[in-house]
Amino acid sequence: MILPTPEQKEQWEEEGYLVFEDAIQGEDLKRLQTAFDYWADASKAEWLDRVEGGEAVATFYDIPNPLEKDSIFIDIIDYPSYYGTLMAFTDHDLILLGPQVRTVAPWPVSYTGWHPDVSQSNPLHIKVQIYVNDVEPGSGEFGFVPGSHKPDAGPYARPMRQESMPGHKTFPGKAGTAIMFNSCGWHVSMDNHSDVPRKSIILIYEKRTPGRIGPDQFASISAYCQTPERRKLFSLDG
Amino acid sequence: MPRIDAHLHVFTKASSEFPRETSDIWPAEREEPVEKLLDQMEEHQIDQAVLVQMAGASIANHRYLLHCLKAYPNRFLGIGLVPEGHPNPADHMAELTDNTGIIGFRFSTFGGPRDIFEKMDVRKFAAYPIWKCAAARDYVLWLYPNAINAHLLPYLIQEFPQVRVVLNHLAVCPGKGKFSWDEFGRPQIQVTGYNLTMHTTYRLARFENVNVHLSGQYAFSKEGFPYKDLAGWHHGLLSGFGAKRLMWATDFPWILEEPGYGKLTTIIEKLMPNLTESELADIMGGNAKRILRFPDL
Repeated sequence: MILPTPEQKEQWEEEGYLVFEDAIQGEDLKRLQTAFDYWADASKAEWLDRVEGGEAVATFYDIPNPLEKDSIFIDIIDYPSYYGTLMAFTDHDLILLGPQVRTVAPWPVSYTGWHPDVSQSNPLHIKVQIYVNDVEPGSGEFGFVPGSHKPDAGPYARPMRQESMPGHKTFPGKAGTAIMFNSCGWHVSMDNHSDVPRKSIILIYEKRTPGRIGPDQFASISAYCQTPERRKLFSLDG
Repeated sequence: MPRIDAHLHVFTKASSEFPRETSDIWPAEREEPVEKLLDQMEEHQIDQAVLVQMAGASIANHRYLLHCLKAYPNRFLGIGLVPEGHPNPADHMAELTDNTGIIGFRFSTFGGPRDIFEKMDVRKFAAYPIWKCAAARDYVLWLYPNAINAHLLPYLIQEFPQVRVVLNHLAVCPGKGKFSWDEFGRPQIQVTGYNLTMHTTYRLARFENVNVHLSGQYAFSKEGFPYKDLAGWHHGLLSGFGAKRLMWATDFPWILEEPGYGKLTTIIEKLMPNLTESELADIMGGNAKRILRFPDL
């Protein structure tokens, strides 16, 4: 298990994020891109029908039940390049809440504004965003306000424009880059003024609390989770 | 500051003088005339209102609306309709706005690609000539977009930043097949618990020419008046658009029986109790007066 360096620990504490360049590469990245493209394409028509019916958001879509669709989507949950860091930050008591395998359309406005996901009272909540394609500046890259995860940070107002957020940092990156962040921190998807959709996977984790995820949540992939560590990560044994 | 009901409908019995389309909800013999509205406005201290055309988009179908605007020029402004697929919408709009009190037009489709991932050429959208005309003649566009059309809006708004846009009914974009009428004869729109418009129409707050109606709560809420389950939506709109771009409206006559016109004049203070007096006055009429240019009384 690759544990975080002292410098990474300090950055995590002070700034609330870490970037893992080339976190996924080579054959694994190809597998991920192939599975992503195949299933995103296969899911699109149904998503559009749901948009028309007022049942789905019009500006992005997620592959439904991705863990059941291809084992690469399971393998990236505990991928070695960042899994040890996740474990270290949660005192080796990590659970998966879920993945969002997301395609975001280019649009004049980002699909979301600046926000934190959880309050300080929430158990440590961590997201890992993995770029599946190259994400250039101005094409929907992740944005984060370093330090905004701290209890004494802010207050922060929601600016009308993404780029107006004081102290923010943006994270363009190559395919395979993983960005880990504390979900108490203020973050966003920057505007995508390119003509390229942003393909990324957002993995959502939390430090375990009893009953947070039931054993049925990920039961459909139980056969693929044979080690005690994986069964714990997916809350398969209660 | 005047109190202005920024979106409602009046109609009279269908006749050769005032032809209109009919339906089960507004059969030929039903009438909800302007005098009935004025009685309600008088009783509840509402000064002015926006009359929105319904039951037909032809010039003839607008006769009753034009009659009301002519009879009460200081009390009302009007919003017209454009027939879908009209070969020359500019002529239709010009005829209806020739010193009549009609200030803009309502529609819900834009005629662009259904798929947001397709290449967007705004000049090829079917609604482009309407927006172009609105920009040239300073019309207001009154929009209640279908869900599958919401993603097209920012392209038009970017192209025509001078056009005043008013998103109807909490900026909700109704889904296909999600419309019905309830036992009180009110429109009902089935919406998801998660507010999808946070990722579409709410995001248009960035454009300063976009405004939103705080109205139609009865159609989306799963509760009775004052529709507390929608308080978060109101807060979200206030947070995004600010108090200067929101307009209260009742959607008369659908609300007459339940919850009643009077109750709806109090809905903003009930759902947004933290507004300052000045913000409340803006939402209850000041914004409509400024944005829609209502005449002084």
